[in-house]
Amino acid sequence: MRQQYAIRSLILVVCLAIAAVAVIVQMVRIQSSEQAQIFLSQGDRYAGEFHMIYPERGEIYDRHGHLLAGNRTVYEVGVSLSEMGNPEAMARILSSYLGLTFEEVYDKLTNSPETWEYIVVQDYVGAETVTSLQALMHQFDETNDQRLSGLGFKPHFQRSYPETALASNVLGFVTRDGRGYFGIEEKYNDLLAGNPVQVWVPRDPNKALEIPRVPNGTTLVLTLHRDLQASVESILDDALFEYGAENGTIIVMDPRNGEILAMAATPRMNLNDYGNYFSLYDNGSQYNRSIGMAYEPGSVLKVLTMAAALDTGTVRPDTEFIDTGSIQVGGITIQNWNRDAWGQQNMLGCLQHSLNVCLAWVSSQMGSQTFYGYMERFGLGHPTGIDLAGEAMGRLKVPGDTDWYPVDLGTNAFGQGVSVTPLQMLMAVTAIANDGRMVTPHVLYSMVRDGHQYNVPSQYAGSPISAETAHTLSEMLALSLEEESSQALLAGYRLAGKTGTAQIPTDFGYDAFHTNVSFVGWGPVDDPQFMIYIWLQKPSASIWSSETTAPVFSKVAEQTVIQLNIPPDIVRSQLSNR
Amino acid sequence: MQAAHIIHAHKQAPWRVQRQWVGAFLLAVIGMAMIAALYLDVTARAAVTGREIQELRTEITTIQRTNADLETQLANMTSTIEMQRRALALGYRPVKPGELDYMAVPGFSVPEPKILLVAEDAPPEVHSLPPEYSQSLIEWFDERIRFGGAR
Repeated sequence: MRQQYAIRSLILVVCLAIAAVAVIVQMVRIQSSEQAQIFLSQGDRYAGEFHMIYPERGEIYDRHGHLLAGNRTVYEVGVSLSEMGNPEAMARILSSYLGLTFEEVYDKLTNSPETWEYIVVQDYVGAETVTSLQALMHQFDETNDQRLSGLGFKPHFQRSYPETALASNVLGFVTRDGRGYFGIEEKYNDLLAGNPVQVWVPRDPNKALEIPRVPNGTTLVLTLHRDLQASVESILDDALFEYGAENGTIIVMDPRNGEILAMAATPRMNLNDYGNYFSLYDNGSQYNRSIGMAYEPGSVLKVLTMAAALDTGTVRPDTEFIDTGSIQVGGITIQNWNRDAWGQQNMLGCLQHSLNVCLAWVSSQMGSQTFYGYMERFGLGHPTGIDLAGEAMGRLKVPGDTDWYPVDLGTNAFGQGVSVTPLQMLMAVTAIANDGRMVTPHVLYSMVRDGHQYNVPSQYAGSPISAETAHTLSEMLALSLEEESSQALLAGYRLAGKTGTAQIPTDFGYDAFHTNVSFVGWGPVDDPQFMIYIWLQKPSASIWSSETTAPVFSKVAEQTVIQLNIPPDIVRSQLSNR
Repeated sequence: MQAAHIIHAHKQAPWRVQRQWVGAFLLAVIGMAMIAALYLDVTARAAVTGREIQELRTEITTIQRTNADLETQLANMTSTIEMQRRALALGYRPVKPGELDYMAVPGFSVPEPKILLVAEDAPPEVHSLPPEYSQSLIEWFDERIRFGGAR
């Protein structure tokens, strides 16, 4: 009997053992099958999710730490469709808070594809609206009201410009896709945006994987002086109104190191509402006329012609010239701005009265090779290299070009037939205010990354003329302003400068009724600390630079000496003698 | 001879053998229970800590957003237009060059743009989360077996 039980028990044990082994074999088989990998990967898909971590875009400050471009939190308002209770009530509430129509919201909530679990009702919603909605949700939760169940808010950053339109032409703007357009925002887009990082975030809290630290985008400090920028923009706006000009630009630069202190241009736009771009600008070159639009500058270019002539020894300040009112260059007659003959003049008189005939004679005396060699060295026809997006090159025709004619040697000498941007002219003239050394203009003062500040060094762009020539010409231009009692003068400060009234080329020759008026000047003459360039397009109150840009220069110079704490010459001299 | 007999009798006592087996089994059960309890404790603590880390991370993000918002709000309140409006409301007006007085201050130099006060973040290569907070007990055993005591 006992043996019988033993046999039965043995059979049972064997059967169970076989079953157990079969289970184990099947487990191993399933685990190692091809399908198992598919199931595993499907399981992994729900074990977590990839998160793209976008760094906060770097901020932009002026030279004194005033925030020009920062970030603010906005929200994506969405609804989890599976949790939504009453779409009609939800649509009614959301439409009133988000400024949308009821039909618009209701359609989104009810007509979304079946596979969708979440729907975005509106993005870039301000914090105030979201706070109100959250308070309402809280109120509903307390009464177990399901009208807003499923509503969610996802915060993210949006670019914000506290100064709205101030320096908008320099800063540029950032669109909702996070890309910078124009100015600093475009030029330094990669630095400002930083490097987004994609990370796998497991849902299992046991696997609290380390999320890498994503450094913010680089913070930029600009050379701009915020208060001076505001003053210059105000002066420009007043000038456009007073003289009836279509548009204009004013640049203030430190001629010693190329730092742009202010760069105003019109039109400007509120950077927080960049949707106005297309209503304000016809094309990208109009966004910042200081660097994007080339024009024939007129007589301000005589400064460069005279600099070249003095440097080569072609003329001296006291070289005499008999102005007969016209001169033939390349078989074409060139006349003065008022078509008069100014008689006996020296080079100072030629600059003071802005005599085209005299300057055409000077360039002819130099010869085309020398003249254009100097113009090239002054940087005409080449971008200045300023760290702003959208810089135009201008055009300097030279002998050998198919559209260059011998008369161009004469007309180029007084700034016609050659196109430059205001910044190109400014950069060229820095050589005269800066002992013959030309500086590269720049807007970036320093970069701040990971708590370290990297200052941007100034760069010299060559020495087209000698220091002696620069001093001589500076003195001539200061005397020229003083002797004609120019409206550009500023009491207490000795300034140097030159007006420029230029005809405007059209498809049918030069415009007979409109001009471009410009002024370039700097001061104090014995220690130049600022250089100003002004361009007003088609002023209607007067076509002459001496009556439009000259007084504007004086106003800008006045604000500049106040904002930069530059004492009057006599005070500086007393202070330096102590 | 008597001693050999006594030993033989002891070995033959069935209750002693059974007790040894039961004791060994219980010991194994207690050991496994201790390991299981330890594992559960470590896992639970890791889960709680992991959740705390996730919450802290969210808090850090929120604080960073708040900082950015406050900075922008401050800039809005001190913008050029706003400051001009407040200055004019307080009775100030723009100064003219002739109204300025300059004086020599020994040792004073014109202030240059200063380094901005930017909080220095931890270098990216530093890992702030030690493996104790992300490693399961089994992974820890596995590491010990494969790499020994050295980490």
